[in-house]
Amino acid sequence: MTAVDPDPETLVGCDQLTVRRGDREVVRDVTFELRAGEILAVLGPNGAGKSTLLDAVAGALPVAAGRVSRRGRVAVALQSPDLARRSVLANVVLALSWWGVPRSERRNRALEALRLISAEHLATRAAGTLSGGERRRVHLARTIALRPDVLMLDEPFAGLDAEVRATLLEDAVSAIRSAARATLIVVHDRAEAWALADRLLILIDGELVAAGAPRELLEQPPSPTVARFLGYDGALDDPGETLLTRPAHVALDRAGPLTARVTRAVPLEDGMRLELQLERGKLYTVAPIPSPVVGDQVRVRLLGGVRFPHPTPEAEHDQSGWTATTP
Amino acid sequence: MHLLWQSLRQSIPLILHGNPTLLSVIWFTVQVAAIATACAAVIGLPIALAIGLGRFHGRRTLQMFANASMGLPPVIVGLVLFLMFVPQGPLGAMHLNVTRRGVFLAQTVLALPYVVALTAAAIQGLPPGLISQARLLGAGRVQLSTLALREARIGVMAAIIAALGTTLSEVGAIIIVGGNVYGYDQTLASAALFEANAAHYANAVAIGIVLSGLILILMGGVGLLQHQGDGLRLRFRPAE
Repeated sequence: MTAVDPDPETLVGCDQLTVRRGDREVVRDVTFELRAGEILAVLGPNGAGKSTLLDAVAGALPVAAGRVSRRGRVAVALQSPDLARRSVLANVVLALSWWGVPRSERRNRALEALRLISAEHLATRAAGTLSGGERRRVHLARTIALRPDVLMLDEPFAGLDAEVRATLLEDAVSAIRSAARATLIVVHDRAEAWALADRLLILIDGELVAAGAPRELLEQPPSPTVARFLGYDGALDDPGETLLTRPAHVALDRAGPLTARVTRAVPLEDGMRLELQLERGKLYTVAPIPSPVVGDQVRVRLLGGVRFPHPTPEAEHDQSGWTATTP
Repeated sequence: MHLLWQSLRQSIPLILHGNPTLLSVIWFTVQVAAIATACAAVIGLPIALAIGLGRFHGRRTLQMFANASMGLPPVIVGLVLFLMFVPQGPLGAMHLNVTRRGVFLAQTVLALPYVVALTAAAIQGLPPGLISQARLLGAGRVQLSTLALREARIGVMAAIIAALGTTLSEVGAIIIVGGNVYGYDQTLASAALFEANAAHYANAVAIGIVLSGLILILMGGVGLLQHQGDGLRLRFRPAE
């Protein structure tokens, strides 16, 4: 697992990378590699250092320590989809000219990329008349058209409403994937990561806290911090260990072994999100409507969750995620 | 009011008469405006691009200098140039005082800050992602410059209009460097001053009317270009 891996499939290697912005270490000691055909998503909360990591891996920011190796040509799509005030097709053609594609091929390649991302109908539109979702689509098309060896996308779906994002995600998955290409995508929304990524890097406070297949990470988060970030919002204290749960792990059941009181109820699209107070902690679940109301006593059955031993006093500093969970 | 009215009435036949001296003054004025604006654009646009796109040391200072230079009194600029052009001066060998070339040069110097400062500001006002994205995708210096000028075209045209306006209506530097020689290097503005000083108010007003008309036509034309920029595929030739 080092950056100088001789594996010919490895297109990007990152070895103990540290990046500073001013005096601050924004990314610390990050190691990973990116292989051809793979889509790797970097997921983390706002301010975790995701974009900084991408900039440094792309070579747009100096590296303070560690090493980055890249093979092949890298195309980076910045977060803001600022297009030139020309037609959509002209914008994609322009990107191809920057990339150095011969004039005779540009138009066809631009049209093909627009088709791949289902934006062909926009080709003659002026960039200034596009909606946010359409701009993002064109922004993606112009990087896909380049057919880079490595594609790096910084929050390609930021700022879109749920519906537009869902359709763009579907189109993007098929357009981005290619056997020869390695793709690194920075996202801050978990849903985007599940939809796109073969592998996931979770970055919190500039540190790589987890790496692996999305499903594995979700089912077996390596630490309480990662678990909480992935939506493990419930916590029950047992002697020596704590059980963390996601809403899907908690079911209301008349014959359930646990007793809880409903302390909060927030309506959602598909039911009611309930906060349940137990003697040993708090759980959250989504109940169908009509659901119990605040103040009701309910019986609860647990369907899953992950257990973590209580932190030892020395380790407490690293696992600050705990303080928030204990009631 | 009475004198103004009288001068206005007398000026109309003068204009309609089409005095050949007046025609040559108009022609010279257009030449000065066109040549000086063109030279200022040729020199100023690369400087503006460097300020707007570059990351060199002293970029801010250069921009501040350009901004401040827009406010320089033309008389002072003219005086400095005149003193440099006198035979004993550092540029004395060029013999530019009281020549048409001297007038072109003085007007170029006056127009330059407008081109540099306003174009640089327009480029800096572009969406930040546009230029960085182009850079990241491998755009070279020429491609970046073309992109920046195209995208900032409304601001670039505004800079050209401002430069044109200065060169058309400025008198201070022209008089000092050019000497305001009747029938040789007078522009409409300096000729109007010449006639007014000689108490030929009807002549001065006639020239003033022609100058105002010329400014309206030239600036209006360039203004039209500015707003049709999207359709016209401008290549940023200074308007003539």
